[in-house]
Amino acid sequence: MINKIENSDLTAAKAANLAIIDFSAQWCGPCKMLAPIFDELSEELEGKAEFFGADVDQNPDAAREFGVMSIPNIVLLKNGELVNRQVGFVPKEILKTMIEEFTD
Amino acid sequence: MMNKADIAVIGTGPAGVSAAITAVQRGKSVLLFGSAQLSAKISRAEKISNYPGLPDVPGTELAAAFKKHLRSAEINITEDKITNIYDMGGKFALQGASSEMYEAAALIIAVGVVPSKPYPGEKELLGMGVSYCATCDAMLHKGRAVAVIADSPDEENEVKFLAEVCERVWYFPLYKDKPSFAAENIKVLDDIPTQIRQKSLSERTLVTNKGEYDVSCVFILRRAIAADTLLPQLKTDNGHITVNRFMKTNVKGCFACGDITGRPYQYIKAAGEGNIAALSAVEFLDAK
Ligand SMILES: Cc1cc2nc3c(=O)[nH]c(=O)nc-3n(C[C@H](O)[C@H](O)[C@H](O)COP(=O)(O)OP(=O)(O)OC[C@H]3O[C@@H](n4cnc5c(N)ncnc54)[C@H](O)[C@@H]3O)c2cc1C
Repeated sequence: MINKIENSDLTAAKAANLAIIDFSAQWCGPCKMLAPIFDELSEELEGKAEFFGADVDQNPDAAREFGVMSIPNIVLLKNGELVNRQVGFVPKEILKTMIEEFTD
Repeated sequence: MMNKADIAVIGTGPAGVSAAITAVQRGKSVLLFGSAQLSAKISRAEKISNYPGLPDVPGTELAAAFKKHLRSAEINITEDKITNIYDMGGKFALQGASSEMYEAAALIIAVGVVPSKPYPGEKELLGMGVSYCATCDAMLHKGRAVAVIADSPDEENEVKFLAEVCERVWYFPLYKDKPSFAAENIKVLDDIPTQIRQKSLSERTLVTNKGEYDVSCVFILRRAIAADTLLPQLKTDNGHITVNRFMKTNVKGCFACGDITGRPYQYIKAAGEGNIAALSAVEFLDAK
């Protein structure tokens, strides 16, 4: 399941042990390609990480806080700290490995 | 929105044109990317004296003959600059500067060579406040200041677009005949950019021979994008893509031809390699 971020409210993401935030937008082609992959990973890694989606047009402050300068932009937070980032589309297996590096 | 074909051919020089013609002749569907006017390197040659069958042909005539051949083979050119290629295992996804996405089962890279060196800081900051695609990233810099560096007047529309979204645009054209714009928030400068530095999470500093500019993003719009930026897994040597006799690269299903594979830089060599790359791509697809 993907938790939708609204009003740039990052409280839940920062409180999570491991949070994965997908910054995207309606007008972004590669974001649409990434969306189903992100969905699948949120099911496969359920209980190991929490998945969030943030539309940059609706959450400009959140995007700014994490220096999102290009999308798609996936940010990994471990106990609220930025530990890794992926800019641009990635194939599923690579993203999965990236996340699993931080799961307990 | 998704456009699909068996083979995506990037570049409309002699290599790409030749590859597209052979691929279509072998029954494959093709997406051919580049300028509909074809590579400027064809029309700019005053006369070409070693192209078999066409002694001393002026470049403009060779270009016209290529266009006619493409039309008779019913090959359309998709006028988009490819900025990123993703290997999806079994297929390739291509992203255009128009922000459109395309998909193909095999890939032929025929982008030619344009001597250009990345600025110090450019590669490190790509995607982090350095961008090659105005359409893709403009909205993330809404209401902020940006810098644009461009090597051809073709990019002036992108500058106008950025000025509609951003508070201020510092424009650094690297070509002669500096343009002027109606929009008051575009400032055209004749500085020579030298370096890009990270200032903070939200700001970059563009350093030039005359000063420093703090901006949210530096857009670098060049006619050519380095092969290993297009597709980072590609093995390259000194800016050239490494291929074998069959124009195979180290990436499965990806082939390269023409100047981008290395010297000599010649039309007929490019056209010949385009033919080989297409035949190899067809063989690859048929074996799947
Ligand atoms: C003035 C001049 C005279 C020459 N005279 C001769 C001669 O007499 N005989 C001879 O044999 N050779 C000559 N050459 C060399 C010849 O021009 C090249 O060898 C030949 O053009 C190479 O063809 P190519 O298809 O590999 O690449 P190019 O002709 O360079 O074509 C590549 C095309 O791909 C496009 N492209 C690049 N990146 C992208 C992208 N990301 N997305 C979409 N499109 C992209 C480019 O805009 C370009 O149009 C001459 C060159 C010059 C400059």
